[in-house]
Amino acid sequence: MVEISSDVIRGYNDTMILFILLNGPSYGYEISKQIKSITDEKYIIKETTLYSAFTRMEKNGFIESFTADQDGSGNGKKRTYYRITDLGMQFYRAKCEEWDITQEVVAKFIRH
Amino acid sequence: METIKNYLEAMFASMPNTVEVRKAKAELLQMMEDKYNELIESGQSENTAVGTVISEFGNLDELAEDLGLAKEVEETRTKESEVPRRNIGMDEAKSFIENRRKKALFLAVGVFLCIISVTCPILFGVYFEGISVLMMFGCIALGVGFIVYSSYVDSAYKYFKTELCRVDMATAEYVKEKLRSFEPVRALCVTLGVILFIICWVPNIFLLRGSSFIAPALMFLFIGIGVLLIVYSTKILSGFELLLQLNDVNTISGTYVNQSLKPVRYKSKTAQTIVEVYWPVVTCAYLILSFVTFRWDLTWIIWLVAGILHRAVVINCRADEL
Repeated sequence: MVEISSDVIRGYNDTMILFILLNGPSYGYEISKQIKSITDEKYIIKETTLYSAFTRMEKNGFIESFTADQDGSGNGKKRTYYRITDLGMQFYRAKCEEWDITQEVVAKFIRH
Repeated sequence: METIKNYLEAMFASMPNTVEVRKAKAELLQMMEDKYNELIESGQSENTAVGTVISEFGNLDELAEDLGLAKEVEETRTKESEVPRRNIGMDEAKSFIENRRKKALFLAVGVFLCIISVTCPILFGVYFEGISVLMMFGCIALGVGFIVYSSYVDSAYKYFKTELCRVDMATAEYVKEKLRSFEPVRALCVTLGVILFIICWVPNIFLLRGSSFIAPALMFLFIGIGVLLIVYSTKILSGFELLLQLNDVNTISGTYVNQSLKPVRYKSKTAQTIVEVYWPVVTCAYLILSFVTFRWDLTWIIWLVAGILHRAVVINCRADEL
């Protein structure tokens, strides 16, 4: 199987994470698990990549972090959760548009 | 899980000890732990799970960049490659501490034997003069043997002193925790030791008229036990400190010495004065009371009370740690 080159996908890690956060706040491993299952295990995000994206996007104001118990039951493990901000929402839409064009452009040069 | 933790420690060994880095490490560990637990639950073997987690970890260079630490990491790498350091891991530190206890015990018992050797002629000299002297030398020989052996016990760890070494953050935290939990024990040992020194002549008062040789023997026994307690606890303490002092400004995981040997801060100038004059005042009170009342058989209790109160005074005068 052809593996995804990390150079190509790098620009879209943020998009994937934001996409998952659209459905509500989530935490590190949960997000990486969802990326894995949505892509049918064709893309597995590295822990360091994920955490880098978190810190970068938090600095840019696209996401916010907060600590909460898992399940909210009060007895679970404390975890850092992330939620998408309005700014993040705008960024996500911009990235979607960017991808539409990118795909359109690149597709013109692909022959099978 | 231990393997994963060690792996993470090794990866972070060249990162500075800052809030961001600690947070990153905690978060990464959490993610790895989640993944590991799920793999184990899905029926994978421990080894496979560890392998998967580590292979999907990624590399820290990219993270260092996003944390704004790329430059520092680079600098440390150069610094550490110029002067290579031996990394002391958790297991090594643990066995060193374990070994240190053994060394401390042998040394303390050795010194103890040397001190109490004189009790042999005191106790038995009257009846068996020759044998009692032999016993004394036997005791000394045994004691010296213990002392010599104690210096060989940790010869396997000589490189701690001869080579440049460093400990990673997790190991340093572990040692610090051990040190903290050892401090009350150490305080108790020293207090008991000092009390024994002070009351060592008490048997002389009570027993002098009766059996003339038991009292001096007891005195040496008291001194011996006192020294034993102090030597033992000091030696263990210095082992912890040795580990924590391996790092210096050239190791990026930071120096721990400054933290562990941080000067004590007091709530106020008055509080500091109180603590500083505490023992001189107690000593004066003891001497004055003793000479005025001439009840030396009772006044030594001052030391007992003062020793216990000292702890309370110090705790109340110290500023809270941040």
